[in-house]
Amino acid sequence: MLRYILRRVLQMIPTVLGVILVTFILFNVVGGSQARVVLGEHASTRTLEEYDEVRGFNRPLLFGWWTTTRALEDSGFDGGAGVWKGMEGVLYRLPEGSLPGRIGLPPGRSYSVPFALPLRDDTDYRFTLVYRTAPGSESAAVVSSGSPPGPDEPATTSEVHRVALAATHQWKTVHVPVVPGAPGFSPSLHFEVEKTDIEIREVRLRRKMPSPFHSQFIFYLGQIARLDFGESSSTNQKVSHMLREGIVPSLTLTVPIFVVGLVVAVSLSLVCAFFRNRFIDRFFVVLSVGLMSINYLIFIIVGQYLLAFKWEWFPVWGYESWRYLLLPVVIGVVSGLGANVRFYRTVVLDEMYRDYVRTAFAKGVSKRSVLFRHVLKNAMVPILTNVVIAIPFLYTGSLLLESFFGIPGLGYLAINAIHSADIDVIRAIVLIGSILFVVANLITDLSYAVVDPRVKFQ
Amino acid sequence: MNAVIKTPVSDPHSWWGETLRRIARSKLNLFCIAVVLTHMGVAFYGEVEYLRHRIRDTTPAYNQVNLEQRLLAPSLFRARIAGPDGGKPSALRHLVTHPLGTDSLGRDVLQRLVQGARIAFRVGIITSLIAIPIGVILGCLAGYFGGRTDDVIVWVYSTFASIPGLLFILAIAMVVGQGLLGVYLGIGLTTWVGLCRLLRGEVIKHKTLPYVQAARALGLGSARIIFRHILPNVFHIVIVTFSIRFPAAVGTEVILSFLGIGVRGEPSWGIMISNARLQLWQGIWWEITSVTVAIFFLVLAFNILGDALRDALDPRLRDQQG
Repeated sequence: MLRYILRRVLQMIPTVLGVILVTFILFNVVGGSQARVVLGEHASTRTLEEYDEVRGFNRPLLFGWWTTTRALEDSGFDGGAGVWKGMEGVLYRLPEGSLPGRIGLPPGRSYSVPFALPLRDDTDYRFTLVYRTAPGSESAAVVSSGSPPGPDEPATTSEVHRVALAATHQWKTVHVPVVPGAPGFSPSLHFEVEKTDIEIREVRLRRKMPSPFHSQFIFYLGQIARLDFGESSSTNQKVSHMLREGIVPSLTLTVPIFVVGLVVAVSLSLVCAFFRNRFIDRFFVVLSVGLMSINYLIFIIVGQYLLAFKWEWFPVWGYESWRYLLLPVVIGVVSGLGANVRFYRTVVLDEMYRDYVRTAFAKGVSKRSVLFRHVLKNAMVPILTNVVIAIPFLYTGSLLLESFFGIPGLGYLAINAIHSADIDVIRAIVLIGSILFVVANLITDLSYAVVDPRVKFQ
Repeated sequence: MNAVIKTPVSDPHSWWGETLRRIARSKLNLFCIAVVLTHMGVAFYGEVEYLRHRIRDTTPAYNQVNLEQRLLAPSLFRARIAGPDGGKPSALRHLVTHPLGTDSLGRDVLQRLVQGARIAFRVGIITSLIAIPIGVILGCLAGYFGGRTDDVIVWVYSTFASIPGLLFILAIAMVVGQGLLGVYLGIGLTTWVGLCRLLRGEVIKHKTLPYVQAARALGLGSARIIFRHILPNVFHIVIVTFSIRFPAAVGTEVILSFLGIGVRGEPSWGIMISNARLQLWQGIWWEITSVTVAIFFLVLAFNILGDALRDALDPRLRDQQG
């Protein structure tokens, strides 16, 4: 038994890792930073960068030394001149044929683009630029992130910041180090073009990470290990705190729905099985197909309108006493009834044709006794599987019911988070919901093994 | 044993002919087929209308705001209103103008309902085109090859199965961006698991059957055995799955666009419900009733047909019924 438990627990690990991977791919790789959505179009570069810093979005995805920064916008010039637009002397050339879009810097002057935010001086940066020059000249330009040496200054202090660009008529990629900590640093990208025209296709600024393992993925794993799910971007509360607050209201709604729903559905399915193919059975079958075909939203909207608003049987909105929960529970039970009755009726009827049932009837056991003492006990196995598997979903609450009736649970939280692109909250709810599901699966399997020893040897 | 293999050549009915004959035995099934075809025709008409207005760059009837005629009740429930020329319209004319009434901006409810059907069908079909191939291919590969392939595929689908459904869909739709693409991907990428699991189990059973061993003994390639020999024998699962997931996808789309994640600027059923919800409190019942009825019949028809298809297609049940 111990070995079986161990094996089953080990089997759980890949699934948990899979869930972590899927949420990472979804929110970090595909989604990326939601800073623009959350903070709005007019947010300053610095607040955007801070948003990313807190959530680890300004790091390499999986592994790597270099990461993007908002200090200098990435410029490929196919779509336009970007920050270079309107700068004195700069010519913009549209892409033509095989030539990409590019900017041209005529000789004999200097050009400078200031950084949008101060660079950190605890790390290094570098420019990457792709350029070419008109043929013929020896040296073309100097690119720098420092002021040119003053007359009384030794040239070496600012040498760190300055790199000469050699003339080339093929596109050439150069990396220029940027060292914010060194003396003579000025927070801008600076070109001094000497004798010939220079064309630039691409300019990038990258920040160096302290180690290649300072990645988004490791950051995320660290968060999970510390059980710290970050901070909500709309309320600035800790996500773990919000989850704890939300779980109780959610459970006060979902647990009654679940229990009442189960009892009603199983009882009705037994009634159906007892009166099989008689009017009452047919009636419930038709009713459940009908209930299944009504959209969930309609149950909520019409229920709230008729029962709470028009007839005033229940309070309309809020979460103050148990009376506020009555209507959502009724709606939750009724909306799930169709599918449940059909499912449990099939389960019970499947049992009805087993040999032991025929034997029991042959012995002269009454129909009621067969149904409740023999069939129900055996039908409990598939019913219980269905029940245990549904339990983790109680945790995420009911997305729609909670927001319609103003119950401050996790469903309400999730809907608000989706509307405000609050990634940390959604990711945490998805992740925890999935892990609970995996655990519930494990518990089901283990309890099977207790009941039925054959399972262990499969 | 397997019914497809046993079906003799001399059988006057083909497999599909026989299936149709079984389904057509019941009047209820015929009625459901008619309902689905009607919705399909309406959706097609909606598509034509939509494209026509997009090409000509005109405002379609379903988006035409007319504040003078706002909140008209369905024509059966309202008095005849005088036309612009002052004369009262004829009874027939009265009946066919805004037969289902108008909404708070004076837009025709019937026209919007038609567009809703168009979007529902698009969602049902496109999400199936995403989910079913994924499920079929992964399920067949896992079942046929077993071993490492199977481990990886089972790992992928158990991961997907453990993520709470609606939240997962919402998260994908949010990340992909607003609009129908997010809805297609959200629903399509999360609903293949059930089919994959079923097919894997079924393919494992078929792998040991004599007809597959014979094909292998003849030296046929794996791809050919899987897709030409095994797949046709388990294809009924795909069809039944389609008939079950179609209405589910429609229902999910309604919820997504109700929540504001989904279509923009076009009337989907979810958007109509979302608009009609607040009006219901002022006693404006016709918009929400129209949408409810439209969804109800489409989903009901699919539910009943799904059951009928399962009974008619499942080889075991089929043999028993004779």
